[in-house]
Amino acid sequence: MSLVTMTIAAEGASTQHAAPNRWVRLARPALGLGLPVSLALAWEIAVRMGLSSGRLVPPPSVIFATFVDLARTGDLQRNTLVTLARVAAGFAFGVAAATIIGAATGYSATLRRLLDPSLQALRAIPSIAWVPLFILWLGIFEASKVTLIAVGVFFPVYLGLMGAIQSVDRKLVEVGRAFRLSDVAMVRRILLPAVLPAYVISLRSGLGLGWMFVVAAEFMGASEGLGYLLIDGQQLGKPAEIVAAIVAFAIVGKATDWLIALAAAPFLRWEDVVREK
Amino acid sequence: MLVLDRVGKTYPNGVHALGGVALEVQLGEIVAVIGGSGCGKSTLLRAIGGLDPPSEGAILLDGERVTAPHQKIGIIFQEPRLLPWLKVADNVGFGLGDRPRSERAQRVATALKRVGLADKAAVWPRELSGGQAQRVAIARALVPRPEVLLLDEPFSALDAFTRTDLQDHLLDLWADAKPTLILVTHDVDEAIVLADRVMVMCPRPGRIFDGIEVDLPRPRDRQSAAFDFVKRRVLAALDRSLNRPATGGEDEPKATAGDALWW
Repeated sequence: MSLVTMTIAAEGASTQHAAPNRWVRLARPALGLGLPVSLALAWEIAVRMGLSSGRLVPPPSVIFATFVDLARTGDLQRNTLVTLARVAAGFAFGVAAATIIGAATGYSATLRRLLDPSLQALRAIPSIAWVPLFILWLGIFEASKVTLIAVGVFFPVYLGLMGAIQSVDRKLVEVGRAFRLSDVAMVRRILLPAVLPAYVISLRSGLGLGWMFVVAAEFMGASEGLGYLLIDGQQLGKPAEIVAAIVAFAIVGKATDWLIALAAAPFLRWEDVVREK
Repeated sequence: MLVLDRVGKTYPNGVHALGGVALEVQLGEIVAVIGGSGCGKSTLLRAIGGLDPPSEGAILLDGERVTAPHQKIGIIFQEPRLLPWLKVADNVGFGLGDRPRSERAQRVATALKRVGLADKAAVWPRELSGGQAQRVAIARALVPRPEVLLLDEPFSALDAFTRTDLQDHLLDLWADAKPTLILVTHDVDEAIVLADRVMVMCPRPGRIFDGIEVDLPRPRDRQSAAFDFVKRRVLAALDRSLNRPATGGEDEPKATAGDALWW
């Protein structure tokens, strides 16, 4: 690693006159890697030198080996897919409900007065508190897990969408009126694009909560899934498996978040202008 | 012809914003509406635009009663109000949603060229300067070829140089199809440069206090003696509309009326 750094540094020095900014730009995000990489490296060396057994805190090489092992047997893929399917289902239900109800309460003050206080009260309950009830109602299999994830996804999306609709610029709505847009056209040409940026952000934070809740859901009794790998690693005393599952969570969570951002990007390009300037 | 038949507006909270405004505006005429704050200028304009229908009286365009935004009436606001998620060209074509794509593209291109922004067609509104954005807004309002164009203090947010520039430009554009223009403004110079007739309004409730014909050839020289003469008349009417002692038009008429307008 240090060799690579030195090579980069040497190359950086040689091309400094040609394109100094490029190297600075490349090096800047790499700066954040410095701390975790050197910590991992130090731990690896400490274990190699016998300063620690590394039994409870496995060194990076062991974690990597476990990761590769789990991937080779197909355990990793199978469990990841199971967890992904749960998150996807919970996210879909949560987003669908939040979009319909959030759109209704954002659009109509009457519906807001009718529904919002109850929903805000429900929101105040820590969602994990529902777990025993969901298990009683829906059993210990998929239904209760997906429901819990859906509940977690629901609130940020609901709040984000309702708030976004309420804060649509009245002046732009008036432009729509002045051009005699029908109700449908008003929604499609003014409200939808105006609401989209905040909606995408709420989807992303909803997804984040979905990943949080899938772990809780899988803790409450699952025979497969990444959360099950965590519990399995704990019960069998395999910390490397736990960390490998955590790494898998990080990768898949980041990837799904990136997918949403990527899918929304073409519709939000008009916003980028602000950020670039 | 646009006819305001004793147009009044009382808001649900009891505020009597307009009290029986009667006015006839010929097709192609340019009318400036001027007056102190709270005299109902904007209320009147929004009523004509169909955004806030009057509570008394009627607005008739070619004999047809206007109660909602009308196809033949366009409006330009104080701010450009461009839709930030549409490129400039799509903003200009916003009111042509029902036309075939080729016709839309062609009319948008013509309009953009006419306001001198042909090179900005593919640009986001945020990348425009204030004056450019307002020119796009003017193009957007003109593209559907309105018979009446309402302007609500359209240049008041711009710097002085851009403002006079756009005033001249507006007259230029007006000459293309000669729609009726009704312009609400704070700026006496602007009213006299543009209008055939300056209507002075007075408050509580808002009504027309006086109408002054501006019988000067265009383009009008803001420095000429004739211009100044009309300006003194408008300022005197403004002073009277606000129940201020007339300043005689000799010393500094602008100080009082101008102050009254801005503060």
